[in-house]
Amino acid sequence: MTETNRIRNFCVVAHIDHGKSTLADRILELTHAVSARDMRDQYLDRMDLERERGITIKAQAVRLTHKPDGTPYVLNLIDTPGHVDFTYEVSRSLAACEGAVLLVDAAQGIEAQTLANFHLARDAGLAIIPALNKIDLPQADPEETAREVGELVGWDPQDVLRISAKTGRGVAELLQQVIELVPAPHGQREDPLRALVFDSTFDAYRGVVAYVRVKDGVLPSRAKIHLIAAHADSDAEECGVFAPEATPVPELGPGEVGYLVTGMKDVHLAKVGDTVTTAGKQRAPEALPGYREPKPMVWSGLYPAEGGDYTALRDALDKLKLNDAAMQYEPEMSKALGFGFRCGFLGLLHMDIVKERLEREFGLELIATAPNVEFHVIRGSEVIVVHNPSEMPAPGTYDHVEEPVVLATIVTPSTYLGAVLELCQARRGELIDITYLSPERAEVHYRLPLAEIIFDFFDQLKSKTRGYASLDYEPVGYERADLVRVDILLHGEPVDAFSAVVHRGKAAQYGRQLVERLRELIPRQLFDVAIQAAIGSRIVARETVKAKRKDVLAKCYGGDITRKRKLLEQQKKGKARLRRVGRVDVPQEAFIAALRVDQRAGQKAGQKAGQRP
Amino acid sequence: MTAGLYVHVPFCLTRCGYCDFNAYAGLGHLAARYVEALEAEAGLWAEEWRGERFGSVFLGGGTPTTLDHADLARLLRSLRERFDIEPGAEVTIEANPDTVDAAKLAALREAGYTRLSMGAQSFDQRVLDALERVHQPASVRRAFAAARTAGHTNVNLDLIYGANGETLTSWHWTLEEAIALRPEHVSAYALTIEPATPLGRKVQVGLVPGPEPDLQADMFDLACQRMGDADYRHYEVSNWALPGFECKHNLGYWRKQPYLGLGAGAHSYLDGRRWWNLRPPTEYLDAVEHGRRPVGGEECLTPQDERLEEIFLKLRILEGVPVTSVAADSATTFLEQGLVARRDGHLVPTERGMLLLNELVLALVSE
Repeated sequence: MTETNRIRNFCVVAHIDHGKSTLADRILELTHAVSARDMRDQYLDRMDLERERGITIKAQAVRLTHKPDGTPYVLNLIDTPGHVDFTYEVSRSLAACEGAVLLVDAAQGIEAQTLANFHLARDAGLAIIPALNKIDLPQADPEETAREVGELVGWDPQDVLRISAKTGRGVAELLQQVIELVPAPHGQREDPLRALVFDSTFDAYRGVVAYVRVKDGVLPSRAKIHLIAAHADSDAEECGVFAPEATPVPELGPGEVGYLVTGMKDVHLAKVGDTVTTAGKQRAPEALPGYREPKPMVWSGLYPAEGGDYTALRDALDKLKLNDAAMQYEPEMSKALGFGFRCGFLGLLHMDIVKERLEREFGLELIATAPNVEFHVIRGSEVIVVHNPSEMPAPGTYDHVEEPVVLATIVTPSTYLGAVLELCQARRGELIDITYLSPERAEVHYRLPLAEIIFDFFDQLKSKTRGYASLDYEPVGYERADLVRVDILLHGEPVDAFSAVVHRGKAAQYGRQLVERLRELIPRQLFDVAIQAAIGSRIVARETVKAKRKDVLAKCYGGDITRKRKLLEQQKKGKARLRRVGRVDVPQEAFIAALRVDQRAGQKAGQKAGQRP
Repeated sequence: MTAGLYVHVPFCLTRCGYCDFNAYAGLGHLAARYVEALEAEAGLWAEEWRGERFGSVFLGGGTPTTLDHADLARLLRSLRERFDIEPGAEVTIEANPDTVDAAKLAALREAGYTRLSMGAQSFDQRVLDALERVHQPASVRRAFAAARTAGHTNVNLDLIYGANGETLTSWHWTLEEAIALRPEHVSAYALTIEPATPLGRKVQVGLVPGPEPDLQADMFDLACQRMGDADYRHYEVSNWALPGFECKHNLGYWRKQPYLGLGAGAHSYLDGRRWWNLRPPTEYLDAVEHGRRPVGGEECLTPQDERLEEIFLKLRILEGVPVTSVAADSATTFLEQGLVARRDGHLVPTERGMLLLNELVLALVSE
């Protein structure tokens, strides 16, 4: 156990690609936590998926020993997820710290996530140490960036550290500032145990492992523990620290950060934000503040691409959920796609990650329906929660509908401000304010329906600003909206998997776009196939896939017969990949098309201006 | 059930861009050796095929009429010596309009060739150019007249529709010209782009547009109508004949009768087994000249293969398949859609159904 006054708990917060992982690598080297031989890039980002995507999903904490003046300090570096989907997880990681390094790319300047993270860190009461990264880059503008950052955090620009995480320049000075400016944790050994769970994971051999920060009291290596929010007791098996590999310790004292092998088998009993205390009489009377149930924001239907893999999908989801407490799923049945699951995710990235893991780790081929938000249908005093657009009640059977709204922060070069405002207005946005970080860069705040954001907003924003704008947002509750369900009918029959809930003012246009797209994707059949978009009983768009007239091999004589038979067998295999919906054969790509209706329009616009980043 | 005897002659004066047959330009010097090899190959199979009675002989190519008429006469004699060919058998030879004259055609008639199949393809010069055919519309008329003069009373004209640039009007014109000659038989094929041909490569890279299926369907409909008006019977997807002049040899393929193929790349079928000869003429010659059967590959048909072939071959012709042998619900649907008709307990394709045969077969064959 280390005296609390020698402990510094801190994290590094940054916009994506501003160099957080590289800085962590340099800090590991500087403190000799990893030998030169074992060093590899992005050391802390363990999972393959994380390394490839260049982002961090699971927070990790490493314990480092640093002796700048001969006396050792324990520095706990707590890694935080860097994506808007995981804002709550970020806030819990911040709650495990006393200080934060706000890392800003000296060439890019402040971005939306810089702002969002800064506000989160400040609200959590952390000491904030700004630092400019990538000063070795020729396009870096340290003076201007220091001015922006200084203004944001209230520092004299001259005092803002200039570093290069790549070369290691300035990293020792940064650690010195951490020691000097980040307060030591306080907390009493004698108090009842309270440790914050800021992440948890499921290990196939050890069960649920929680990442914890001890706030008060002492967490012994083996103890009867109690999780306050989960109302669950367990016999903990081990605690330890990451140095950076997992190393057991006899106990974790106040202010210390480490891991706890909880002895539990269900990750949902050790959710992020929960408080670990001692079971029995010494139990802490109150939980640490700030716990929140993980709440999916985005829903999508996942179906096996080839029929019959339902059981495999269910087993895979069961396994995946073991170390992803935020994902939810419930079985559902689609007339078009058969048996599958309606899954809830924290956001689009979370959805992509889960889908990719299902495909990569479990070898599944999946069809995902277009993502949608959770709608609240109000009928008198009753609130009907709708996760699947096809379950939206018929118009006239309810009072009104509410949808989730977010507060979005967009940082953009001033030259693209017009385009950004235009985009937000087109997406039913409500302007809150515009402030200028500098004459060249503006910070825009908008209230936007989340449904508009998950429908291709980010791609559009990037394409309209040559990739320069950045986006962050946080949910701010539900608001009433004039929403309608758009149904797609194939040959007169509604296809549930294509239904979407759209704002009334855009419903007809949405219907037209989807119908046009489907006409391109649905192969000709033996009869004319009408593709219609309907709002209620009103048809708003119609296209026809004309009946196929010719499908025969013109010549078939002695030498052709074997070849012809093989061609037919090929054709049969192709047909097997189509989904029969009513009487119509629909290719699997068509179900993905609904996701891309707007993206195509976006790509066209981007190509025209030659600005696709 | 009689068998068919096919003889492949792989030589052509020029190669046409759309053709993916086993045919070669510039190998004419091998012709004499090749005819001898055919006779020798016949000897290699004679024993195995002793029990089979042949109702037809078909010399295809390539261009069989690039061979000397004396060689062609000798070849037919040899075949008759080695195989049990019916005295009244249908003996067809394919002819290119530019490779025949009245004298040669008379000699062929004399030698026992009873049926002439002429590669006319089109009466529109632009279409012939698009197909890279070297002959002209006039040579078709000339060759046809020569055939009649030489006494040929069973002549087929081959036509191709849907080449790049061909319009419905142009095709109409070609049909009228063909009908005006009153051939006993007309084969009209929708141009099919084969990837492994010069034309196929041009289409793939976008140098030439591929045929439009709907236009080809219109052309098919027009052929059905015009040929029908002129009393030709539409007895197979791409074949029309005056009553009694249906091609016996080709009907054999669609009826799943046995056939023996001689020559480079020729296919044979007997007792559920299909095999094919080596394709390159030199390899073929080498094998036969060393006394070996020139077989390049074979397959034994599984019961599922046999069933699929039975259905897709017999649905090409008006005989059709027994109603009880196919998927009942699909049959009902297709009857309602007018793609098949019911005749004597058989499903037979309608003209509209013929053009959608792949779809019909795939649905009808499924259990």
